[in-house]
Amino acid sequence: MTPIAGGAALSLAFGFSVLTVVSLILYTRSGDQRLFWVGQRLSLAISFFVFMATFILTYQLMISNFDIDYVARYTSLETPTMYKISALWAGQSGSLLFWLFILSIFATITVIQNQNKHHGLMPWVIITLAVTQMFFLVLTNFVTNPFMPTDADFVVANGNGLNPLLQNVTMAIHPPTLYLGYVGFSVPFAFAFSALMNKDTSSLWIQSIRRWTLVAWLFLSMGIILGGWWAYQELGWGGYWAWDPVENASFMPWLTATAFVHSIIIQEKKDMLRVWNMVLIILTFTLCIFGTFLTRSGVMSSVHSFTASSLGPIFLSFVFVIMIVSFGLMYLRKDDLRSPRKMESFTSRESGFLFNNMVFVVMCFAVFWGTLFPVFSEAVRGTKITVGPPFFNQINIPIGLILLALTGIGPLLAWRKTSKESLIRNFTFPIMGGLIGAAIFLFLGYKGYVVISFSLCVFVTATILTEFARGVKARTNKFNESIVLALGRMVSKNRSRYGGYIVHLGIVLMFVGFTGHAFDKEKEFSLMVGESDHVAGYEFELTNMSEAERANHYAWISELRVTDHLGQFVTHLKPEKRVYFHKNPDVNRRQPHSELDIYSTMNKDIYSIFSAVDNENGIAFIKIMVNPLVRWVWIGGYILVFGTMIAMWPRKDS
Amino acid sequence: MQSNKKFMMMIVGVIAVVIFWIGWVSSNPADEKAMATFVSVEQLIDDNIDQRTKLGGLVKDGSIVISETNYLDCTFILKEGQNELAVKYDRTRPDLFTDGAEVIVTGQYINGTFYADELQTKCASRYEGDLRDENAYNLTEIDT
Repeated sequence: MTPIAGGAALSLAFGFSVLTVVSLILYTRSGDQRLFWVGQRLSLAISFFVFMATFILTYQLMISNFDIDYVARYTSLETPTMYKISALWAGQSGSLLFWLFILSIFATITVIQNQNKHHGLMPWVIITLAVTQMFFLVLTNFVTNPFMPTDADFVVANGNGLNPLLQNVTMAIHPPTLYLGYVGFSVPFAFAFSALMNKDTSSLWIQSIRRWTLVAWLFLSMGIILGGWWAYQELGWGGYWAWDPVENASFMPWLTATAFVHSIIIQEKKDMLRVWNMVLIILTFTLCIFGTFLTRSGVMSSVHSFTASSLGPIFLSFVFVIMIVSFGLMYLRKDDLRSPRKMESFTSRESGFLFNNMVFVVMCFAVFWGTLFPVFSEAVRGTKITVGPPFFNQINIPIGLILLALTGIGPLLAWRKTSKESLIRNFTFPIMGGLIGAAIFLFLGYKGYVVISFSLCVFVTATILTEFARGVKARTNKFNESIVLALGRMVSKNRSRYGGYIVHLGIVLMFVGFTGHAFDKEKEFSLMVGESDHVAGYEFELTNMSEAERANHYAWISELRVTDHLGQFVTHLKPEKRVYFHKNPDVNRRQPHSELDIYSTMNKDIYSIFSAVDNENGIAFIKIMVNPLVRWVWIGGYILVFGTMIAMWPRKDS
Repeated sequence: MQSNKKFMMMIVGVIAVVIFWIGWVSSNPADEKAMATFVSVEQLIDDNIDQRTKLGGLVKDGSIVISETNYLDCTFILKEGQNELAVKYDRTRPDLFTDGAEVIVTGQYINGTFYADELQTKCASRYEGDLRDENAYNLTEIDT
């Protein structure tokens, strides 16, 4: 009975989305307040029925109702409850419903929050959100319905079970986090679209979406970082970023969103860059939908993507419709979008922001180019050429370093125009710092990009510290406060600015981690108990090999004793080779998995993978990687989150 | 107005530089592993392509031979339709690499042997089954 209720809830939600759009469009024609009131309520009804459908599916997953195809496909009786719930976003149709679920939460919050605010903007905001909901309702109702019954002529006693790779806490939270980011940009986009419809693109709409944008940006950033962390901990190829199409799909909107987060400051303060902000938010939203498309369509082969399905053309059409309608509307509103003010000087903060923006967009284009290179090359030359990480790194490292430099330069420039004296005053200390850093790194024997990257990290850190020191000094002099109090009050009075600097600091630390990649060492070898091999100055001795049968898998456990070049003991590593579903009589249905072990320090990670076992001869195949500075990527990530929280923390008076 | 023009020129300049840069890297990648052409086994053998290529196919049943002196060295036959190709691979083999597995290899074709330095296995259908493929279910049948 309940599965039918789930399907019915989705159908009802679709019906309400149509009604919402119709009534609100009628309102914008007639101005009859009752229609607005009705439309608002109807839009809440869409969300209500989406919530209902989501809860029903979650419940069916929890009680293992294998009459539903989705439940049978992604869970089994043995799946732990937590992962039964997370199976909601493990497959295609469930994850689309989940997208819709988050969108509905955001839509509900937006409607309730603005019940008595932004009366001019709201009708089109609700229409835009309802149309987006409608799109996903079409998908979940008619294309890939999560409540589809199991298509088998026998009673299904047990389901497939969730892929062991996905049975990991990070994996349970990474997709929702990313989705919160993707979906979160629907709200700023809805406001932008509404501003265009209302012919009022001044800073009003920007003010109403600043915090939304930061929240979405935070979740998108966290989603990306968690994804990298999961790949590093679980996938066992020793890296956190592979320029995989789906990773790129999340990185592209992040780049445009980051540009947007910066350039809305200009529109708020100076009412400039109206066109640019519009373009950025449209691009960001489109790329979020495009990202979902890349993940869900199977156009690109990738660890993430689902099997090829009919979703592709539908998604692409939606992407094109959004772009054509939005950019078309922008063209019609070109007079209104003309900013009243102009840039005054190259050495101004405005122009610094503009350049940072351009570089972000350019990087986004470079990533886009590489991601779709197989498609382009096939269209142009008839051969499908794929590009790998070396290609992306070669293109993006210089662009990334320019961005890093701008992170340091931008905040030191004054609004409108920076005088020569203040240029010298502001830049002397950080540039000296960067140069001294460069000299030291060169002296230590580093070369090329590594020196540039490390020196820029020093330079940017110096500018951030200067900014903090200057602010604190001004307060201690003026109000006679202690340093700690002055620091606290200064940050609290200007949260977006100092929160932003903290985010920059996080980015600097992440760059330190990225640069460490240049020194990665790896080696693969096979060992019998008692034998050893060397990697990057460490010795790895296989001291023991054992076997264990556990609840849902069988494991071979290798024990490696690690010593450094002086023979000093460093650590024991115990990577495992596991076989999940080991009791399945069909050998092909058993799932092998390498559970890696990492010894992590601030300086470097020693990463071990037990990739295969030769039972007959007692041989273990081991892969070792020594990855310097990786931990700084995660530390930078924490600081980024902390800084963003400060920047978006609401003030008491607002 | 003057300054606006200067800005426009600057923007155009930056875009030009970047397009040049992307084009340059696309045609002169620094790392030979940066790019690979997707070809079929038939094309590879017929045209004797010696560039870096990427191929997809199935591992022929019983064709995997692991060297007795170095356990990382292995050879196998990649089947794509009727065409077969001998592949040599000397790195860690992925978990799902077995007889009949669907694999993608990247490497170079030299004197009749394909030397692969990358081997990816496609995620097995048991988790992401094609919606029409009933065998995708891992179901225990009960008499009905």
